[in-house]
Amino acid sequence: MFGKGLAKGLGITFRHMFDKKITEFYPEDMPTLPPRTRSSLALNTPKCISCGMCSSACPNKVITLTTDKNESNKKFLTSYHMDLTRCLFCGLCTEACPTKALYTTTEFENAVYFREDMQWDMMQRYRDKVASGEIKEEVKPETKQEEAKDNG
Amino acid sequence: MIKTQELEINLGPQHPSTHGVFRMITKLDGETVTSVESKVGYLHRGMEKLAESRTYTQYIPYTDRLDYLASINNNLGYVQTVEKLMGVEVPERAEYLRIIFGELQRLASHMVAIGTGSLDLGGFTPFLYTFRDREKILDLFEMTIGGRMTMNMPRIGGIIEPPEEFWPALNKFLGEMPGSIEEYHGIITGNEIFQARTVGVGIISPELAEQIAVTGPNLRGSGIKWDLRKNAPYGIYDRFDFEVPVGVNGDCFDRYIVRVREMEESIKIIHQAVRDIPEGPTFAKVPKLIKPSVGEVYHRVENPRGELSFYIVSDGSTKPYRLRIRGGTFVNIQVLPYVAPGWKLADVIAILASLDIILPECDR
Amino acid sequence: MPQYGSGLFVSIAHLIRGLFGGTTVTADVVMTVINSLIIWALIALAALSLILLERKVAGWMQLRTGPNRLGPRGWFQTVADAMKLLGKEDIFPAAADKWVFGLAPMFVIGLSVMVMAVIPYGKGMVPVDLNVGIFYLLAVSALTTIPFFMAGWGSNNKFALLGGMRAVAQMISYEIPLVFSLLGVVMITQTFKMSAIVNAQSHVWFILLQPLGFVVYTIAATAETNRAPFDLVEGESELTAGAFTEYTGMRWALFFLGEYANLFIVSAVAATVFLGGWQGPFLPGWIWFAIKVLFMVFLFLWFRWTFPRLRVDQLMHFGWKVLLPLSVANILLTGVGIYIYQLIYPAIGG
Repeated sequence: MFGKGLAKGLGITFRHMFDKKITEFYPEDMPTLPPRTRSSLALNTPKCISCGMCSSACPNKVITLTTDKNESNKKFLTSYHMDLTRCLFCGLCTEACPTKALYTTTEFENAVYFREDMQWDMMQRYRDKVASGEIKEEVKPETKQEEAKDNG
Repeated sequence: MIKTQELEINLGPQHPSTHGVFRMITKLDGETVTSVESKVGYLHRGMEKLAESRTYTQYIPYTDRLDYLASINNNLGYVQTVEKLMGVEVPERAEYLRIIFGELQRLASHMVAIGTGSLDLGGFTPFLYTFRDREKILDLFEMTIGGRMTMNMPRIGGIIEPPEEFWPALNKFLGEMPGSIEEYHGIITGNEIFQARTVGVGIISPELAEQIAVTGPNLRGSGIKWDLRKNAPYGIYDRFDFEVPVGVNGDCFDRYIVRVREMEESIKIIHQAVRDIPEGPTFAKVPKLIKPSVGEVYHRVENPRGELSFYIVSDGSTKPYRLRIRGGTFVNIQVLPYVAPGWKLADVIAILASLDIILPECDR
Repeated sequence: MPQYGSGLFVSIAHLIRGLFGGTTVTADVVMTVINSLIIWALIALAALSLILLERKVAGWMQLRTGPNRLGPRGWFQTVADAMKLLGKEDIFPAAADKWVFGLAPMFVIGLSVMVMAVIPYGKGMVPVDLNVGIFYLLAVSALTTIPFFMAGWGSNNKFALLGGMRAVAQMISYEIPLVFSLLGVVMITQTFKMSAIVNAQSHVWFILLQPLGFVVYTIAATAETNRAPFDLVEGESELTAGAFTEYTGMRWALFFLGEYANLFIVSAVAATVFLGGWQGPFLPGWIWFAIKVLFMVFLFLWFRWTFPRLRVDQLMHFGWKVLLPLSVANILLTGVGIYIYQLIYPAIGG
């Protein structure tokens, strides 16, 4: 009979009126994203061996890093920059990283007001994170020396 | 003497129902459409040319951005092409995982197709119901790989192993799906207004579909049983037992119902894959630097929106010498000028919605 | 059945009237001014609350919560939206017919005010109790077609023109079944007066005597108010915004206001004619009226958020080939029913 399907549809929408709502109240209830979420990138500077695999894995030349060698002929990072305006968040760089110094994080609030803010100085971000107590600095004797030398 | 003139109206590139930046120059006689001229290319990004300056692995994230509602299917198509070129054997477990994720992505894509189909006919609520269920699939993806739209999941020679908590979540989702499909039938399929808007509207005859080389659910809606998963199995699709649903009349309703029934078949395939999946590694031994020998390869896969195929010419270096993509949408969309004339303006929107176009794949 | 507190507003009106000397001309003028102010306030209130209700109900049906940011549970959202619209630029398209384009939204809201003057909100609460109430109401609301066409034509935009043409075709076609569906009730009550129709329902509501009339009225009223599944005038998936494509700011808001005022009016008419108006036990009459109007409004919202849109030719077919015969059949049945009833109780009717 004509109208049966219409009535069924009305029944479905009426039932859903009293269902549990699935809206997420975003700024109040921050969603907890699964650990594998690729929404931001971070560099654990002491772990980095300055091999440059990340920068060569990147499809868009997002990563530029400069290195130097110390007395014992060991490479260390002098700068590590990411141009987030070009980043696809594909995660190929983190997969290429042999020591997992570069890793994806679940921070997803990456919006900024100015274009320049998308140029990330990854070493500075690491120092900021350590300073704010968000992550613990890994204590490795030789890297500590380098850090010290780097700072002055 | 009053002169009557056809009204030329420009649907798109900015229009709520052209699914992105498709443009139709439509000539109207009253409300009746007399001709449609389709214009594509507003979203051209030079995807094929970009491949020539990327290594084989680096191009995988770009394939995400072809048909962004079915990125894993695109990834799989590309990755399998390169594997075919190199002659790589993929481990069993990886093949099964590829089936599971490919079919999950097909489910998600068809959900968008039927949801936006309803939205274009003016029914807003069913659209959100399909997106509610798509959200569950996206959560599964996010758990596994970290992406929701642009997955970049398979790699040449394997696929990423999902975490432990993926399997119970997948089972829960599969358990909820039959109820959701029942709900779609209740609110969309059975609705008399929806039927009045779609049954008999925009008939693509099998002859026309064959001449234009329409593929995917649009072809099957016209009653031609052609599904690459059955007719030219790639991966391990030949091991699964599933039906290829076909329509009868080739109208908008058939294209819709073929998609819903394909969703049911996808669920069947996922159930079989979950049952049979072996333990083992998910990555084959592939060199870190992918460097296929000189040669060329053509490979096609069945995407939610029709056949997607890649043609790669290798000159022996780490980057493809030439990469050519054949997308389903680009071909399917060509049917519009033949089908739309004679129908009302609102029907053109319905036909376009039933073709389930996606412009990034069309314009590349 | 007894009602408590029904006379509240009537007593206030009497009090004000008394201040100006009862039945003098001054008192009449003052009462008219107050009544019209109340109607304007009622339109604003009805529109603001109905927009919020619409968004809330839509949200609930779609597993969302609807507006929830401004005020308690988002109740001030529409007020904020109205403020925002007031502050927007009033754009006249270069090619628009300025007078037609500018006047159209004012006509919409003006017609709504005119219609709302004859609705009985409670016992003794009819701003203007015309003896041809329903007739006046139908005549004025039929005029609503014209501003829609003015908007479509004056915008000088192809989408708007198509929307305007649809508005004419649709609203005139559905006017006829709408009128015919109310005719059954008029035949039973032998009056056009709204308050008399409500009084006639003290024992039985006309929805029970006229179920077919109610169904036809509800469908035709949905089309008259341009709401889904008959929202072809707006038709956002094919015509972007139909007749309102070129409107901005407050002019657009007036159309929006008019749409919800019309929704209120058709619900109020349904409540008056079919659901017994202010009749009901215990609660004050105007509360009963509000409950019935809200019920009708919910019905229209429910339709909108469940059904897809009809096509323009299907709309015409449905109007002329289904609704019109049904409404005529309803008149015939009512006539036969009245005839039989008169055979049994010769006292009823004329």
